[in-house]
Amino acid sequence: MTSFTINGRAVSVDVDDDTPLLWVIRDEIGLTGSKFGCGIGLCGACTVHVGGRATRSCVTPVSAVDGAQVTTIEGLDPADEHPVQQAWRALQVPQCGYCQSGQIMQAAALLKDFPSPTDEDIDAVMTGNLCRCMTYVRIRAAVKQAAQALANGAIPNLTAAKGAKA
Amino acid sequence: MIKRGALILVAVLAVGLAGFAAFAWRPAIARIAPPAASSFSPQLVAQGEILAGAGYCATCHTAKGGKPFAGGYPMQTSFGTIYSSNITPDPETGVGAWSQAAFARAMRQGVAQNGSHLFPAFPYDHFNKLTDADIAALYAFIMTRPPVSAPPVRNRLPFPLNIRALQAGWKLLFFHPQPFAPNPARGAEWNRGAYLAEGLSHCGACHTPRNALGAERKDKAYAGAPIDNWVAPPLTRANPSPAPWTEDELFAYLRSGVARYHGVSAGPMAPVVHAGLSKLPDSDIHALATYFGEIGGGQAREADTGPVVEKALAADRLGTGLQYDAPARLYAAACASCHYNNAKGPNPLRPDLALNSAVNLDDPTNLIRVTLYGLDAKSGAPGIVMPGFARFSDADVARIAAYLRATRTTKAPWPDLEKKVAAIRAQGKGKE
Amino acid sequence: MTRLAPRGEGFDPLSRRGFLVASAGAVATFGFARAIEAAMDPAAPHGVPATASGPRFDPTLWFSIDSDGMVTVNIIRAEMGQHVSSAMAQIVAEELEADWDKVRITHVDTDPKWGLMVTGGSWSVWQTFPIFSRAGAAGRMALIEAGAKLLGASPAACSARKGAVAAGGRSITYGEIVRRGALSRQYSADDLAKLPIKPVDQRNLIGKPVAALDIAAKTTGAAIYGIDAKVPGMVYARPKLPPTRNGSKVVSVDDSAARKVKGYLRCITLDDPSDTVPGWVMVIAESYPAAIRAADLVKVSWTAGPGAATSEKDIQDHAAGLIAKPEVGVLLNTGGGDTAAALKAAHTTVERTYTTSTVLHFQLEPLNALAFEKDGVFEIHTGNQWQSLIMPTLAKALGRPESGIVMRTYLLGGGFGRRLNGDYAVPAALAAKALGRPVQMILTRADDARFDSVRSPSVQTLRMGFDAAGKVTAMEHHAAAGWPTLVMAPGFMPKGQGGAPYDPFAISGADHWYEVGAQKVRAISNDLANSTFRPGWLRSVGPGWTNWALESFMDEAARRLSLDPVAFRLKLLNGAGRNAGSAPSAVGGALRQAEVVRRAANRAGWGQALPKDTGLGLATSFGQERDMPTWVACVARVRVDRATGVVTVEKLTNVTDAGAIIDPDGARAQTEGATLWGLSMTLHEGTAFENGQVKDTNLDTYMPLRIADTPDLDISFVDSTEPPVGLGEPATTVVAPAIGNAIFAAVGARLRHIPITPEAVRAALAGGAS
Ligand code: FES
Ligand code: FES
Repeated sequence: MTSFTINGRAVSVDVDDDTPLLWVIRDEIGLTGSKFGCGIGLCGACTVHVGGRATRSCVTPVSAVDGAQVTTIEGLDPADEHPVQQAWRALQVPQCGYCQSGQIMQAAALLKDFPSPTDEDIDAVMTGNLCRCMTYVRIRAAVKQAAQALANGAIPNLTAAKGAKA
Repeated sequence: MIKRGALILVAVLAVGLAGFAAFAWRPAIARIAPPAASSFSPQLVAQGEILAGAGYCATCHTAKGGKPFAGGYPMQTSFGTIYSSNITPDPETGVGAWSQAAFARAMRQGVAQNGSHLFPAFPYDHFNKLTDADIAALYAFIMTRPPVSAPPVRNRLPFPLNIRALQAGWKLLFFHPQPFAPNPARGAEWNRGAYLAEGLSHCGACHTPRNALGAERKDKAYAGAPIDNWVAPPLTRANPSPAPWTEDELFAYLRSGVARYHGVSAGPMAPVVHAGLSKLPDSDIHALATYFGEIGGGQAREADTGPVVEKALAADRLGTGLQYDAPARLYAAACASCHYNNAKGPNPLRPDLALNSAVNLDDPTNLIRVTLYGLDAKSGAPGIVMPGFARFSDADVARIAAYLRATRTTKAPWPDLEKKVAAIRAQGKGKE
Repeated sequence: MTRLAPRGEGFDPLSRRGFLVASAGAVATFGFARAIEAAMDPAAPHGVPATASGPRFDPTLWFSIDSDGMVTVNIIRAEMGQHVSSAMAQIVAEELEADWDKVRITHVDTDPKWGLMVTGGSWSVWQTFPIFSRAGAAGRMALIEAGAKLLGASPAACSARKGAVAAGGRSITYGEIVRRGALSRQYSADDLAKLPIKPVDQRNLIGKPVAALDIAAKTTGAAIYGIDAKVPGMVYARPKLPPTRNGSKVVSVDDSAARKVKGYLRCITLDDPSDTVPGWVMVIAESYPAAIRAADLVKVSWTAGPGAATSEKDIQDHAAGLIAKPEVGVLLNTGGGDTAAALKAAHTTVERTYTTSTVLHFQLEPLNALAFEKDGVFEIHTGNQWQSLIMPTLAKALGRPESGIVMRTYLLGGGFGRRLNGDYAVPAALAAKALGRPVQMILTRADDARFDSVRSPSVQTLRMGFDAAGKVTAMEHHAAAGWPTLVMAPGFMPKGQGGAPYDPFAISGADHWYEVGAQKVRAISNDLANSTFRPGWLRSVGPGWTNWALESFMDEAARRLSLDPVAFRLKLLNGAGRNAGSAPSAVGGALRQAEVVRRAANRAGWGQALPKDTGLGLATSFGQERDMPTWVACVARVRVDRATGVVTVEKLTNVTDAGAIIDPDGARAQTEGATLWGLSMTLHEGTAFENGQVKDTNLDTYMPLRIADTPDLDISFVDSTEPPVGLGEPATTVVAPAIGNAIFAAVGARLRHIPITPEAVRAALAGGAS
């Protein structure tokens, strides 16, 4: 039995300790925004936040998050209005969209460490997130736009629960 | 912590048999009715609780999923598996019938209430340094825990190692109890640190190499040692971390499990920090930091920190823009999205890999273990995790380790990495 | 604490109500609360199309308007990131004069009424434009007629704009018109064909920036892909893949070790009358992680089919051998001329051979399909690009008529052509049939790579002859590769000379628009490739590799005559003869291609002085098919490190003429993606067959382009009023030759194989490649 908090809600799941967190989130908890891409930690489609840090859930055994706070794309912002999400929509970043939950979660984490990231910062941190549709040009632009919004006072609500929507 | 180090004995080979039985024999100490909880002052119990944390009693005496202090925790030794005992005050299966004298004898001499010798997996070779007052406090704490009926789990030791009386021979050779003697040349804080480190917190149990019979080598105190498929790094000047272990770094590490310029507590060290030392007041942690800051020489090298960190920051982005080097691409995709430094300096929650102890040790074991199995939210930096890359091939893990060693340190390459990865994979994830 | 109820507990899996999964008890707020309906709306939370409010007006099959004025456009194309559904809705909304905020889209099921369902070849907008424009116009006219009546005005006095009909100072919304039930007008196909559509200058949606309808849900986690499909009572399957793609047979299955896995149910050896997945064993479990773990432990022994020992080199050697035999292959109708004689008579000839490696699709969402039987109908829920192709196969596999099967299309986590081939639906269906329970099959990444319908490796030999004055008198292009269309859809193969069918997707691009005198284009099917694996269509199909050869060769030919490669091309793109172009979509012909070449060269600063070891290279193409050309040119600026052989692409300049652009931002996005795909396949991507299997199966060794590899892009479009053509792929085709040519310009090393590796560059620099 592993207990943790997801998007502000406490959950307990009774699965094998080494079950990847990704499948627990997708299939036991039913939040399918986090995606399965490579299963070995090299594409970032499954990125969630654990304790506020971007984390590849496909290679994180569920037992590892016992007692931790997990946030998925569904819980990034209570109204889906995180500055990163807004920038992503404004610049129409997603193509197929499959990688984008992970990209957005990674970008949101990045901006906490680099409030005004350079291209090099973005490339270094976002290179783990593969986009097979190759939306990279827009990802770079959108990360900067979100940074600008944050600098102008937009306040991301990173820990709030999603409430009824999740 | 001896728990896992614990190895032991075979003293029988070294000891003449004649008279041995007489030498080995210890009397039982009379059983008592379990003392009422109310017979201990709350202050004493509270003090005992702190001390129990500093000695990691719960860590070794609690099985996974079991009741606290009820024992049954397995300790793999090179001699076999030993299970910890039930130290709740249950009179039948625990220590409820032990008087304080019996308790003190166990702590100081490694002899149970009934006169049998304890295996030195129980670190009485350190606990003998405890003051009477601390033993009294620990006794009060233990005797006020909820009793749990949990019969001992049979050790899996081959004959003749399973003969407890033979432990006496080991003691004859290696056990020389001595009360803690403060060093008058050092201050009170240093001496407090030394008392904790040498005694209750038994740091040498993991960090000091042992001889063939499992006894700590006094000539190599804190020189670093393998422990439970991990490596306990040297706490001496031989520690290979590029940044000095200053008092501040040591304090941060022992207090929170996270040292900005070294990394996080992993493997057997994780519960030491998070489950054990967390009970101690800051003053005691400072004392430990003072002690090790001195004996490891880190405090004296404090000025090295700046340049070392600067160099690490310069190496931080290596590989993240490279296009063709396969290991660099692996690193960029698998590691760099977490292990980056922020705009201001090293990010303590995602250790900088140039500074990280595991990358700098002579032995790649710790790095490989963490790469393969990650860190859970209870080890390392609390509340965050490192995923495990066990789905990588041995070759991929070896490639990343070699790449880090080559690009982040100036140390010699690790030999036979791929084989090492395979061997560590074969050991499995282990208990942590 | 929320305890999670076991999946599907307390539901009849096959009742309609049951589709409201897991809405019981404590789980209600935690997802699954989604009805799986006949159709998907990618913009709606969880993909559930909204129900129409009040009476509804359906003037054509393609859209309806409800009493709230909501316009629902029915989309038969797959949405895989090209925002095609949004572009198609834009076409309807333009003529309908709808309010864009009141437009939504529905991805429909495979009801035969929708006709051919295929999404590929960048055809969607091109094919849909005339139909949807007229459907929208019909709707507008009907609404104006009805609105006029309600307003008491004459239809001629009324105009429609932003979802309302207005006359004088009064207006009435579409929703109100529909609510008042004043509409009954329906249009036949013939009626529709006659309707006029707006002149270009009156457009107010097409060509204007609008918010694509499928994007918002992709930023919140609400978008639903095939892999997210769930029904109560469903179990998971992961296959054990046989040693060869074709002809493997299961000898024995030993699942004793797998039985220890919690949640493991059983193995099923598939019996597949359609022979789509011979030798497959499905490992069934209660959860997907259990299926993964169990499958790792199941031991199957097979007898292998053909190709079990085949290597990449075998395939390529075979291709080269085929090219050397003049009698094999099919000649395209290129206007003829005796190239052999012309080459013999030529003053100068150039001959070169180019090769490409096997390429994986590696769409990010691994293949998956959910299958189950409900009310006598077999349902397949998955993302797919060509339902019409796989339906007959599914019918054969399941032993039931197509009328008893329905496919429901979800968002695709990338298509790139992989999901044109719906083979993955078959094993899921067979397992569900055998088990009598819903089965969701998901491939792991490595499974997906091994089961990929890869882009075949290829070998191409080109020849050109010049007369003494340097005029091109003859050209030959011989191309040998696996033929996807032969293997999967032979009925779609056009006929070449002598009536012999050939795979257009394994040769198009070679039948270019240059004026070269006698011209021979020979397409050769590599039978060893076809039997070893199932060749696939991959983004930009044939031109993705034929243009590598063609445009590298044009550069080599120009340099052979010491001509500027741009000037050389412009001279040959003269629009003469068969290259003059034709209505409706190829108006302007080669002259439009010349124009994009000129523009790209100008924008990139062709001819300017550059730093040492830096060079510009240009390549051009017409996209895929001669009757639907998308004119495109690319200039690559690269820097070559002579010591390491590392090529750094600094900038890619792309100019595209795709006719009228429906959705400028979407067009740009597609071109960005296609350009970077081209770059990825030039420098980063490629695998090889080893013992009949691809050797790279995950991202540890297969290393597509990542953000840090991404250069500056300068993308522009020719402002055009010509009919819109495809955009998803053409930009891919020009990048590799532009880079190869740029490397030559930078350091004088000629590369003739993609992907280009640093070793190959070093070897070419050392004179290893001539
Ligand atoms: S699915 Fe987790 S990193 Fe690719
Ligand atoms: S948008 Fe398709 S993978 Fe990134």
